[in-house]
Amino acid sequence: MATTATTTVTVTVTAAAATANSVPTPTPPHPRPVAPPALRAPSTLGPVKSETPPTPSSSTATAAAAAGAEDPSYIITVPSYSAWFSFDSIHDTERRLLPEFFEGEAAAASGCRGPHAYKYYRDSLIRRFRARPGRRLTLTEARRGLVGDVGSVRRVFDFLEEWGLINYGALPSGSKQAKEKREEVAQQSLLPSGATVPRKLCTGCRTVCGLAYYACDKADISLCTRCYVNNNYRPGLSPANFKRVEITEDAKSDWTDKETLHLLEAVLHYGEDWKKVSEHVGSRLEKDCIARFIRLPFGEQFMGPKEDRMGFENNDDNTDEPGADVSKRLRLTPLADASNPIMAQVAFLSAIVGSDVASAAAQAAISAQSRVDLNDSEIETSINSTKEEGSSHTNGLSVNDLLKEAAANARAQLEKERNSIEQSLSNIVDVQMKEIQDKICRFEQKEMLMEKERQQLSCLRDLLFTDQLAVMQHQQRTPAAVTECKGDEKPKPVANMS
Amino acid sequence: MKTVSLGASRPSTVYFRMPTRDNLVPIRVDVEVDGQRYRDAFTWNPRDPDSEIISFAKRTAKDLKLPANFVPQMLQSIQGQLAEFRSYEGQEMQIKEKIVPLKIDLRVNNTVIRDQFLWDIGNLDSDPEEFARTLCDDLNITDPEVGPAIAVSIREQLYEIASQSVSVMREKQMSKKGRRAPEFSSNSKAVNNAVDLFKYFGSKGSVIRKRKEWYLYEPVVDVVASEEDGKEEVNNSSRPKKRAEEEKVASLQSL
Repeated sequence: MATTATTTVTVTVTAAAATANSVPTPTPPHPRPVAPPALRAPSTLGPVKSETPPTPSSSTATAAAAAGAEDPSYIITVPSYSAWFSFDSIHDTERRLLPEFFEGEAAAASGCRGPHAYKYYRDSLIRRFRARPGRRLTLTEARRGLVGDVGSVRRVFDFLEEWGLINYGALPSGSKQAKEKREEVAQQSLLPSGATVPRKLCTGCRTVCGLAYYACDKADISLCTRCYVNNNYRPGLSPANFKRVEITEDAKSDWTDKETLHLLEAVLHYGEDWKKVSEHVGSRLEKDCIARFIRLPFGEQFMGPKEDRMGFENNDDNTDEPGADVSKRLRLTPLADASNPIMAQVAFLSAIVGSDVASAAAQAAISAQSRVDLNDSEIETSINSTKEEGSSHTNGLSVNDLLKEAAANARAQLEKERNSIEQSLSNIVDVQMKEIQDKICRFEQKEMLMEKERQQLSCLRDLLFTDQLAVMQHQQRTPAAVTECKGDEKPKPVANMS
Repeated sequence: MKTVSLGASRPSTVYFRMPTRDNLVPIRVDVEVDGQRYRDAFTWNPRDPDSEIISFAKRTAKDLKLPANFVPQMLQSIQGQLAEFRSYEGQEMQIKEKIVPLKIDLRVNNTVIRDQFLWDIGNLDSDPEEFARTLCDDLNITDPEVGPAIAVSIREQLYEIASQSVSVMREKQMSKKGRRAPEFSSNSKAVNNAVDLFKYFGSKGSVIRKRKEWYLYEPVVDVVASEEDGKEEVNNSSRPKKRAEEEKVASLQSL
């Protein structure tokens, strides 16, 4: 055992050293009085220089922890359902969920099959992940660095991943969904394993056997059905040597919500015909359906509304308690057979709803009944008056409510529509105004241009006029030069010109 | 088959199994598809169900981002080796208290490790995994992949020896049944080695090695720097280089 103790200490110390840079190491390992680690430690621990310490492993570990604490750049998150984890010990959860390392012949053993091996795998995997917390640690990468058979490593890895001690929040895609799924799975795995205590381990594949297992009296081997079918046993044995032993526990009784819903619908439709009910539910036997139905919590609620209705309706219903829920079901079924599907739904709902709610609803419905009178005719034809009244009250109330709601909804929508129409109208008007303004601007500009042109034209005309005038004067002068007697003819061409 | 045994020789006949505490099979996978090569060696528990093999192969391919057409070949390889192991299982083998020399000569990533040591295959409680772990820790090997490689290598050699002893047993039985003259020469290397070793030990009369031979049995670990540095070899070996050559000569002599 001394050699294995050495192994444990050195593994944890060197692993802690490797991660000292990036991660604040959690609880340091227990100090053990072993000499070799002291001599070895200084060469491996890069950043941590510990000269000859008196208690080697504890000081190197605390030094590593100190070095780690100086660099708090990573925060390792561990989900709350794994808060039990500690490097120093093996928790009960681990013992329960990975029995192959702790039970059977492995209990006292070491090597690849004992608690020591489990601790080695677990500690190495977690330290490895924590060295690079943002990155997802793959199984292949991890098992390549671990000495041991890959099957056991895979099981420990899957367990740690499921419980968020590895790869928590480090998934590349859909991490939130994966986390939620893992929490679900973790809770689910807690429930069934907590419920059943004596479980049978298969010697072949080291998993918990389900419904039945095969026991061999010759060699004290028990195999799960899968190993038995695969002939996964020693060559000296034959299938005839195995006896089938049933495990009498409700190992597969996790009724999902869907199945429960189907069950209730089926009971509503088919009543006491459990064959049809089990068909409707799907993969459940008749007796399973019956058992489940009886155990459903709303079984009590059958009693509740009946009592309240007895209170305020003042009838003399003498249904006895033990037969109460049978009679309840009987009362349900006539309604279920009624042609009106709404009635069936309402009966179902009123059965599901709590007793207080049902009584309040019934009282309100009575007052509303006077106003909204919908299903009188149908009620009078049915057998049990109290039940139907109650259901009709709830029916009337619900219809009234629905109408009110619908009206309110319609009004609100109408308002919305009006508002939107007004809005769009104002938008249109704005746009058109803008258009007109733009046009006006453009016209103004054009007018200015025209003005300018006109002015230019008038200038030109003046110039032309003066030119013509000059020419005419010239013409006038030259003949005037010849005959200077005609003098006052200048104004005439001027008058002509203008 | 006469052997010189050290002490009380109790040839125990057991059903075939790995002569180690845990009956684990060493598996080596070497698959090449479309120019991509996947090589791996690991230890497998033969009692794991077959579905485990399939899911392991798929998971490995996914983790290493290999294309899906690797998976069937990987599966075939693993299942073939397991089937071969199981084919030996029903048969008897004879384990004597044989001490055999095992050798390790591996390169894992950048670490080269060479070692030789003696192993008692008669001890059905031996543990190659523990040996590998201790070796790595003692030699301060930082690469975590070296440990499993050493363990697999040891297991492979032990498997080889065990399967040979099965065939030896079979030959023995056949010779008893069939031929008159019980003449058979087992040409298994390990057996010869064991026999020679007994001679070696027996003549000296002491189990303690001579000091000048200690260096032969020291492990050598070299950390080879990556090839970007111009192929320099950084030598962290625990023994000087000139002696390494002497070691080769001496080991040849001793065997």
